[in-house]
Amino acid sequence: MKIFFATDIHGSEVCWRKFLNSAAFYKADLVVLGGDVTGKAMVPITAYDGYWQVTLRGETLRLDTREELDAIIARIRNSGFYPAVVSPDELTHLSQNEGAVDQRFSTEMLSSLDRWLDMADGKLRGGQIPCILNGGNDDIFEIDAVLESSPCVSFAEGKLLDLDGFSLVSMGWTNPTPWDTYREAPEADLAAKIDAVAQLVPDLGRAIFNFHAPPYGTGLDEAPALDENLRPTHGGAVMKPVGSTAVRDAILRYQPLLSVHGHIHESRGIKRMNRTLAINPGSVYGDGVLQGAVIDLDARKPKVSRYLLVNG
Amino acid sequence: MATESIGETPTLFLRKATGLVRGWNVRDSMIYACLATNIVTLGLYEFSYAPSTFPKGQLLTSVVISGIWVSFLVVAYSGLIVTIPRAGGDYVWQTRILGGGVGFVLAATGWWFILWLWAPIYGNILSVELFQPLWATLKWTWPGGGAGWFTTHNGIFIVSLITIALAGVLVSIGMSGYARIQKWCFYGGLVGFLAIVILLLANSHSSFVSSFNLEAHKLFGVNGAYAATNAAAAKTGFAASTFGFGPLGPTMLLVPMMMFFILWPNWGATLYGEIRGSSDFRRVFTGMFAGLWITVALAVILLLLIDKTVGWAFYQNANIAGTGVLGVWPYPVLLAGWLVHNAAFQVILILVMSLWFFGWVGTLFLSSTRVIFAAAFDRVLPDRAAEVSEKRKVPLYSLILMLLPAVGLSALYAYWSKFYTYTLDATLVIAVTYLFSAVALVILPWRRPDLWRASPASRIKLWGIPVVPVAGWITIALLVFNLYEWLSNSLYGSNNKSSLVYMGLMYVLAIVIYVVARLVRARQGIDLGLVNKEIPVE
Repeated sequence: MKIFFATDIHGSEVCWRKFLNSAAFYKADLVVLGGDVTGKAMVPITAYDGYWQVTLRGETLRLDTREELDAIIARIRNSGFYPAVVSPDELTHLSQNEGAVDQRFSTEMLSSLDRWLDMADGKLRGGQIPCILNGGNDDIFEIDAVLESSPCVSFAEGKLLDLDGFSLVSMGWTNPTPWDTYREAPEADLAAKIDAVAQLVPDLGRAIFNFHAPPYGTGLDEAPALDENLRPTHGGAVMKPVGSTAVRDAILRYQPLLSVHGHIHESRGIKRMNRTLAINPGSVYGDGVLQGAVIDLDARKPKVSRYLLVNG
Repeated sequence: MATESIGETPTLFLRKATGLVRGWNVRDSMIYACLATNIVTLGLYEFSYAPSTFPKGQLLTSVVISGIWVSFLVVAYSGLIVTIPRAGGDYVWQTRILGGGVGFVLAATGWWFILWLWAPIYGNILSVELFQPLWATLKWTWPGGGAGWFTTHNGIFIVSLITIALAGVLVSIGMSGYARIQKWCFYGGLVGFLAIVILLLANSHSSFVSSFNLEAHKLFGVNGAYAATNAAAAKTGFAASTFGFGPLGPTMLLVPMMMFFILWPNWGATLYGEIRGSSDFRRVFTGMFAGLWITVALAVILLLLIDKTVGWAFYQNANIAGTGVLGVWPYPVLLAGWLVHNAAFQVILILVMSLWFFGWVGTLFLSSTRVIFAAAFDRVLPDRAAEVSEKRKVPLYSLILMLLPAVGLSALYAYWSKFYTYTLDATLVIAVTYLFSAVALVILPWRRPDLWRASPASRIKLWGIPVVPVAGWITIALLVFNLYEWLSNSLYGSNNKSSLVYMGLMYVLAIVIYVVARLVRARQGIDLGLVNKEIPVE
């Protein structure tokens, strides 16, 4: 069985489109997106009489036609940002009201996800190609219901999914970060969550862990060291491990066949942890490149017979 | 939630999410750029070869010209960094833009194999800037021959081994500990540099002459060392040039030599962060540019003061005489220390100035580790190459891939005099890698228009002209000029047949590794051609 695993596309529409094409491109039997589906930033496009105005990466643009507007919206979406067309009054309201921004973010995230799932329906032949998604620590909880209700993707959070004799268990939660994001929990709580899903697995020799947080101290979790102002120290030259000890301990204890991770974009790599092959394909969603892992599983042995990290 | 705005108008709303980091302190990256273009370890070392190679060239002018030219390389690399801001640097840019095979061959040669050759160069610098002056000043006679022992085959080899061990340990410790050490080394080194500036400012040429004669007699038993040095240079037929401006031709020919020390402001430049803007370009550029020009300024100050106090003709003569009169290289720090007739002060000055070496040596194998890991993750090298031991956190196999060949080449360097000329390729091969990164930059707007359009670098314009691609072309011109000179002018010593064969073998080795990897992986059912193949969007 061949799996394509990618993660952390953070709202990048070009990466989502590539993800939907990845099964055909890599001849994969199923595709898995490991969390952090939603974007981090929203770009306001102000609508005036007869034109729109937007500032993109420091450059202010006046858009006189609908075509120009559509092109900019596509560009914004491909970067992983949400375009928000607003009136000048709405923009003032957003700039003065944090709650309104949060609400608008949620609206944009959910409508964008709806659109993505519509695209998926066509590309994945109405669910014929299995596509598994779960949330990551940066994803708001409201996306869970949207994913759960989709006929063309399987929402994996906290579940045991059977993949032709292999058992996939998933968890989008991570250990605490300096950003205090949505799905964070202390290590002890993570350990309890992992134990709960691991108990469901009938044969750990055929288990696949899909945990958003990478295992601590494995090289799959190296992020720039930050000071108290979230500024990289020493010119960005110093990295430090920021993964989860609970995830590491669980891998070493349960020894699944494969463990796939994301969360730390800079830490693309693989790590053998005794019997387990742990992978973090990393993410460069902002460049429009879909990093991922193509993994062949041998059902007879069972073992990981081949893997390849790709920049698609 | 955070907001970016122009004036009162918000232009971007950010929600709470992982990885939204602020830009780093520019001062930090400036320090690393300054240590990479190291005026003491690389600058002073290379300056000593200038008079014998191009006696009519003006050293100070060539340093300034080189600084101006390399500034364009800084702009070009800043453009690449903010467009594809990955710590993997050249390897990532080249594999993404030029293809996996080309990227591997250039990165493996420029950031891995050639650094084996830098190990004995680093060792030699450690020898002439620390061990030899220290032993001479302290009049230590152990091991046999005292300071002179370090110029023997065994001495050269042992110091190279010390350097390799030191660099290997620092790779194992990791950057978190070393980055702190580097900073203190930089500040300490600046204090030492300031002491030298004060000494050279406060003393006249005549006091230098008498101090030189006195200390040379005291430490080496040489009588009339000043006159003897001038005589030794004259005996070779050398006629020292004046310090002022001279003909541009010979001065331009010094530029390829200056690259040995000034081509590296981009050595450790990285960028993280996903929401990028023009401020990121400014930050990356400022760090490297300031580091480069601090180096140039320190070089200019030092050369002016050498002219004033040491005497320009004598400085050149001393470098021509080499170890002939004193028995050790006329290290300017040693000579400046002699202006104070106190051995303790001289020792302290040598030790403080050695901080320029210790803040720099840790980077010897750092880039090699990154390339080896990246190539292993791309399945070009065996998986083991990226393994890190659980207990000690040491990248054992990658260290073996770096250290063992470096030890072998250091032995060749120490025991086979002809091999010395091969070290002259050390800059050339890295320049080839830089050249292809610059090529990747100038073709980027065509190869990856989406990426280029989204990059803050594409919006930096001067009189409507995009600055970064123009800087890329000027960088290509700089590198092509240097490569042409290195390969055509025998005075640089790198265009002899055996040297070219040596370099060629490195490229062949990289190509062989890549081809074998493709074949072996294909047999395993893995298509390495897929690694950088883009998935269709529609």
